[in-house]
Amino acid sequence: MTGLLSRAAGRVAGRRRSRPDPLVADLVAALGPDRVQADAAARYLASRDASIFSEGTAGPVCFPASTEQVQACMRIAARHHRAVVPRGAGTGLSGGAAPLGSPVVLSMTGMNSVLEVDLDNRVAWVQPGLVNLELSRRVAAHGLHFAPDPSSQQACTIGGNVANNSGGPHCLAYGVTSAHVAAVEVVLSDGEVVVLGGLEAEPGGYDLRGAFIGSEGLCGIATAVAVRLTPNPPAVKTMLAAYPDAASAAATVGAVIADGMVPAAIELMDARAVAVIEEFARAGYPRDAGAVLLIEVDGMDGGAAIQADRVVAIASANGAASVRVAADEAERARLWKGRKNAFGAVANLEPDYYLHDTVVPRSKLAEVIEAVGEIADRHGVSVINVFHAGDGNLHPILAYDSRIEGMTERVAAAGEEIIEVSLAAGGALSGEHGIGVEKRDHMDKMFSPADLDHQNRLRQAFDPHCRMNPGKVLPSPHSCADIASLKAADGALWG
Amino acid sequence: MDLGLDSDELVSCVACGLCLPHCPTYVISGRDAESPRGRIALMHAVQAEGAPVTDEVVRSMQTCVQCRGCETACPSGVPFGHLMEGTRAALVSAGRITGRWQRLGLAALGRPRLLRAASAGLGLLQRLRMIPSARLGLPERIPLRRPRLRASGADVLLFTGCVMDAWQRPVHRAVQRVIEAAGAGVTPTGAAAPCCGALPAHAGLERLSKSMAERVMAGLEGLGGGAGEVPVLVDSAGCGAALKDYGRLLGTEEARRFSARVFDVHEWLAPRLDRLPPVRPLEAAVAVQDPCHLRHVQRAHEPVYEVLEPFVESVATLDDDGLCCGAGGAYSVLEPERARMIRDRKLAALERSGATVVASANPGCSLHLAAAGLDVRHPLELVAQALEVPALRA
Ligand SMILES: Cc1cc2nc3c(=O)[nH]c(=O)nc-3n(C[C@H](O)[C@H](O)[C@H](O)COP(=O)(O)OP(=O)(O)OC[C@H]3O[C@@H](n4cnc5c(N)ncnc54)[C@H](O)[C@@H]3O)c2cc1C
Ligand code: SF4
Ligand code: SF4
Repeated sequence: MTGLLSRAAGRVAGRRRSRPDPLVADLVAALGPDRVQADAAARYLASRDASIFSEGTAGPVCFPASTEQVQACMRIAARHHRAVVPRGAGTGLSGGAAPLGSPVVLSMTGMNSVLEVDLDNRVAWVQPGLVNLELSRRVAAHGLHFAPDPSSQQACTIGGNVANNSGGPHCLAYGVTSAHVAAVEVVLSDGEVVVLGGLEAEPGGYDLRGAFIGSEGLCGIATAVAVRLTPNPPAVKTMLAAYPDAASAAATVGAVIADGMVPAAIELMDARAVAVIEEFARAGYPRDAGAVLLIEVDGMDGGAAIQADRVVAIASANGAASVRVAADEAERARLWKGRKNAFGAVANLEPDYYLHDTVVPRSKLAEVIEAVGEIADRHGVSVINVFHAGDGNLHPILAYDSRIEGMTERVAAAGEEIIEVSLAAGGALSGEHGIGVEKRDHMDKMFSPADLDHQNRLRQAFDPHCRMNPGKVLPSPHSCADIASLKAADGALWG
Repeated sequence: MDLGLDSDELVSCVACGLCLPHCPTYVISGRDAESPRGRIALMHAVQAEGAPVTDEVVRSMQTCVQCRGCETACPSGVPFGHLMEGTRAALVSAGRITGRWQRLGLAALGRPRLLRAASAGLGLLQRLRMIPSARLGLPERIPLRRPRLRASGADVLLFTGCVMDAWQRPVHRAVQRVIEAAGAGVTPTGAAAPCCGALPAHAGLERLSKSMAERVMAGLEGLGGGAGEVPVLVDSAGCGAALKDYGRLLGTEEARRFSARVFDVHEWLAPRLDRLPPVRPLEAAVAVQDPCHLRHVQRAHEPVYEVLEPFVESVATLDDDGLCCGAGGAYSVLEPERARMIRDRKLAALERSGATVVASANPGCSLHLAAAGLDVRHPLELVAQALEVPALRA
């Protein structure tokens, strides 16, 4: 960003008080002055999310209040030949909301209402800016919740969850976002509104809802989402199993699933993670463990207890040194506190972190973790592993200090190697954080040129002019956007 | 521009955004420039990337309530309050915020006689209906005379402060009665320690706040005959937070020792509840409003619940994770519209709790909430009231 700023500053010299921008004038006319910010500070902030990727500069930032206002923004942007990037809370980790080029940014935070709750069918229509955890809170009185629970759930929005098809610890049994969204109202890049999917069990026609979920803002803007609500389980048992090494922990994961159980969550933390987390969160994890598993089962009272007994037996048979079953809600909360504070714990270690996200087959977990440790050591960066082991979703967190010369490059190199070992083990590029900018240029390692061209064709069916979040996900030359020119084109920022 | 911020503190923010829902100004606006993460990013842009201090950058800093809700929410331990105070100090030096009138007003806080005269003046204008009290966040009826506070011993000092002493002396009286009922003699600090310096510190007037801190420490040295070890009890969360921060602010060993003897009055009372006589609980459904400076800064809000429990019929916890009420010292006066929008959310949470009385341990918050028509008391006012009616022994 530093380079970008000075470049922008250089270019703007002598152009300080420029004429009012006609694009901004049109947006203001449509939304009102309070809902459009075109100043440098707002644009600077809309140029970044929670990731380390920030290659472009946001144009004017709009805060629409309704589907109609989103439509108006889309039409105005089209008229001015400008791209549009939707933005939720900006907690994305792959640069999805960080604009390339100088697009109009649509911040959806103002559209955050629950529109309608249908308790009989356990469906609610909500606006996309609603915060994930807030949704669960609003329906808690009815004994319901929204099942996808990203670790960022206190801050991230339903729109961002839909766009990234986000998951969380409890998605092992319950499924990720796409399993909990019945329908989406979408504004397309020409301003047209369509509803994809429906509330009936098997909506007719192609599953365009499925195509839209996970499309990372490339196919249109979600302006309302019909979410499915899940009854809170009557009984929950949470266990912490400690192992001498990661291999026996990984073996337990396989054995539990092979036994036919689908626990609500299985989270694995390696030795370094345990040490760092315990230091920070004091969650009661055994500090000398080579790895721990946090396992949660739920269901009816009796069922959960039986499952818990079986998990304890399997863990012990696979070499667990100890298994602790949380006695009450307080202990359960404490065990989860460790897991949920993992990022913070790492942030205490070093000023920067890069949270990676790949998927590997469960059977290869142990060897990939080992390889990840070796890669990090070789590049001289700290790594801790905290991840959704049940579905093989690896989250190595690389902690580093970007102020050290060459460090950022070393982290990037380590990140690439981690992708390579994951793919070589038969895994996937991204579990749940999306492709965005981060993994765009690795897509060809996983997909053939024909695959990528087809993906681009699908995207162009939604957005023929390639105006939605251009330059993301699909690499050149399989993207309709000219990525190189997007990187070069940045507007004057601190004018 | 060099904001003089510590680079390690500045880069400790990893931009995760987990603080966003805990920031009152982000919650009401949904705007990054009014979020902790955005404010930190702008500080970084200005200090490390050479970005100019535009009006919008200044506004971003001015709209912060300094509630520090972001600090308790932050998993990386970003010392936001410190960063914001440093930023404001730099903006004051550059002449960008806290103009002359504001500076004069803040300086008056440390001058009890001037303050009393000004307060009486306001009280008169109010009675003549010449000022819109609710809009200015003033108490409904500024007292023209105040009940006297008399020392009853020197087991503890009770810090009385500036504006609170002028407007809410009955609270100090009630607090003193409760401490005395617990068997301790009280010396009110009065003019010996005119103002804790919190408001100037928030406004970025570093020198003024330091000189006020030094004056408080000097004034309390040996007050009431104590050897400098007597606990300093504070019944205003904002003042307590400031006094506890002297160690960091002044950076001297003496200041650190002073800060170590400062306690929020509930913190001191909670382990001594067994010294109070048994009473019949007040028939009141009370909701506790956690002042930010007690919950997020002192991180000592729980004793309030402990202290209230035996004395009132029911104590409700609000379901808003301690989100700020919008008072923020002078914030409700300087940013009235935002303060009102933030308060509306607090009012909704209070409504959901079903309580009829609000207990608030901070004078600023109680004025701000009372201006919305609520029945707000200091927790120890409720305790004092309950103590007036001795329980019928069973
Ligand atoms: C500490 C931390 C922990 C995390 N843990 C998890 C985790 O456990 N699991 C997980 O899956 N992710 C996790 N994430 C990543 C992130 O929180 C999720 O991807 C989240 O869904 C992003 O939501 P957001 O509202 O912040 O979206 P943003 O970051 O603002 O945007 C994300 C993408 O969605 C698009 N978008 C946003 N709103 C809309 C809309 N209305 N219509 C169309 N497109 C839209 C944007 O263009 C962008 O491409 C974590 C992030 C952090 C910082
Ligand atoms: S202040 Fe803390 S919680 Fe907020 S974005 Fe920065 S690191 Fe995250
Ligand atoms: S101090 Fe309060 S208002 Fe300021 S950024 Fe932090 S949470 Fe927001």
